[in-house]
Amino acid sequence: MTAPAQRIAINIGSGYLPGLDAVVAGAALAANHLGWETFGIRDGYDGLLFPDRYPDKGLVKLNGRAMGADGPGGSVLGTGARTDPFRMRTVNADNQVEEVDRSDELVRALQDAGIDAVISIVGGSALTGLHAMSVAFKLHRKGLRTVCVPKSVENEIASVPLAFGYNSVLSHTAETLERIRTAAHDVGRLAVVEVPGEHAGWLALQSGMAAVADAVLLPEIPYDLQKVAEALAAHERAGRRPALVVVAEGARAAERAAFPQAEKGTLRGSLTPNAEPELGEGEHVIDRAGAAASSVAAALRHLTDREVLPLSLGQLVRGGAATTVDRQLGLAYGAGAVRALQRGEDGVLITFQPPDLKCVPLAEALKRVRTVPASSEFVQIARSLGISLGD
Amino acid sequence: MSLHTKGAAALTGRVINIQHFCTNDGPGMRTTVFLKACSLRCKWCCNPESIHPKPELAYDLKKCIGEKECGLCLKECPENAIYIVDSDGKVRINWDLCTNCGKCVPACPSNALYEFGRDMTVDEVLAEVEQDASFYRDSGGGITLSGGECTMQPEFSAALLAEAHRRGINTAIETAGNVPWEFFQQVLQHVDTVLHDHKLTDPVRHKKWVGADNVRIKQNYKRAYETFPGKTFIARTPVIPSVNDDEEHIRAVLAFIRPYKNVVDYQLLPYHRYGVSKYGFLGRVYELSDFTAVPEETMRRLRAIIDEAFGRSEAAKSA
Repeated sequence: MTAPAQRIAINIGSGYLPGLDAVVAGAALAANHLGWETFGIRDGYDGLLFPDRYPDKGLVKLNGRAMGADGPGGSVLGTGARTDPFRMRTVNADNQVEEVDRSDELVRALQDAGIDAVISIVGGSALTGLHAMSVAFKLHRKGLRTVCVPKSVENEIASVPLAFGYNSVLSHTAETLERIRTAAHDVGRLAVVEVPGEHAGWLALQSGMAAVADAVLLPEIPYDLQKVAEALAAHERAGRRPALVVVAEGARAAERAAFPQAEKGTLRGSLTPNAEPELGEGEHVIDRAGAAASSVAAALRHLTDREVLPLSLGQLVRGGAATTVDRQLGLAYGAGAVRALQRGEDGVLITFQPPDLKCVPLAEALKRVRTVPASSEFVQIARSLGISLGD
Repeated sequence: MSLHTKGAAALTGRVINIQHFCTNDGPGMRTTVFLKACSLRCKWCCNPESIHPKPELAYDLKKCIGEKECGLCLKECPENAIYIVDSDGKVRINWDLCTNCGKCVPACPSNALYEFGRDMTVDEVLAEVEQDASFYRDSGGGITLSGGECTMQPEFSAALLAEAHRRGINTAIETAGNVPWEFFQQVLQHVDTVLHDHKLTDPVRHKKWVGADNVRIKQNYKRAYETFPGKTFIARTPVIPSVNDDEEHIRAVLAFIRPYKNVVDYQLLPYHRYGVSKYGFLGRVYELSDFTAVPEETMRRLRAIIDEAFGRSEAAKSA
């Protein structure tokens, strides 16, 4: 445990979620309560790395009382996009593009500004993975006092049952699915809707249950579309016209084509194993929103002879106002992070484990991704509701 | 200094791949040697594994046999850079924490973890290349250095090409020209055919799409055309939809190259996505995921402008 901080900064890692200012306001209020000064860093760490881009030089003093936490969405600070202080792309004096480590410069800038500790709002993202938390972890290893607050669309962060923002995204997703289901049902269409969820199917499962979907396909349970088609036909025979299939963007078919392997030890194997199309494809963590819905919709059109409408929600559910749960949770996470710094915590992630806020080491949180256990009671409940999971 | 020495043959370079029987990398049937390191960051790059100069970790999820059955990589990683996804029990790489130290690679029994880039000597590369020697004689082919940017390893490239020449093998390189002139000139001495890219003509747009401006590239090309009048230069443009698939670009390149008699052709390479899967292996994001192929009609129209500039009529081509 180290001495309490007196002057702190807060920033937001990559990826937008509704109501991020609630966390910022919570931290600022709690810090003000302790008599600490609080600053916000613009756009992740860009405010400190590129101060000339900002009229306020990238570091803005925060007053929690003036901020409020119930704004219409948007964030006063901006998020980190894909900037990585450890690998900043630049053009050197030789006109060659290269990636350089500017983390020492960043730590110095924080010291020069008199910042004792940083609260980083970090979280999972299909595109950038655990990027912001990893950056915070590396800065912590360089000696920067760090406490992180979890935010996530997928709610997949290890040791965190409820990350900030998830409740709002879930609410927006369920409401949108409900609208789509009603419209599709009335005109006799089958809507196949892709929702965020590369590794974890919490959002697909919970929103699908809330919207009474006919089928929900999760990354955790490989699907067989023939079985989905059979379930849809059974619903039809039972007098319930099927209208909605929810697909997590990371859902995968059960059967995969066998692939040849380059023999280890051969020259070819040692040079470019797997680099050619016939030797398999890479994990598809690539910007590809809509791909899962398109492929499932095409197959179901063939299997059901129905008019199938593929849709991808993606960005649509990441915006908008925060729910009451998230406003309260955000304020609590922000204040909890300040209280952790006051206790001398360092290199930890705050986690809401009802009824408490606890701290877990960042190294622990980076070790796993929390997914839906395929044999859990929660999954069985979905089946009891008549939802096909494609298995 | 002569490169025809025993020392030069033992010189090592960082190689990604040696591809046999290539027909689009210079005259005849060729063996293309891909070298690591590049000084540009083209958003459409189809060889992302070639960009960084050091060996890089890659991971194929499908080959991982999982934490329960194996888990050896987790014990080897000193950076906390390997984590588990509970649903399938397989590992994933935290690319932000990975330092490419390579310690996990020998521990992986299923070859799910591997490295792009291996150090090879001139002799080792040529032993592989010379397996195709009989095809070179019949087709007029030879060795082509590609990458990455092969002139980023100037000593190795020069030594390799010089030794290939000594063994009677025709030589070519594929280059984007964004290196110090000394590097460029050192390699070009040993090249028969220079396949060189003109990606964009406007320096600001060049920087936006490729990462750096093209001022030095154009200087290098002009100087090369003038310094090496006896060598064959072939200009090329990877045609990227809505980036450089316009007549203005083609005509600007033609205006640049046509004063030089040793620039014998200008070829257009239509945009493709063959390298996309490699972005997944390396944990990178392919930024042009929404781009589609350039219509064949556009390619025909642009090629017709080039044919006209080179005095190649339809009748002459069909004859």
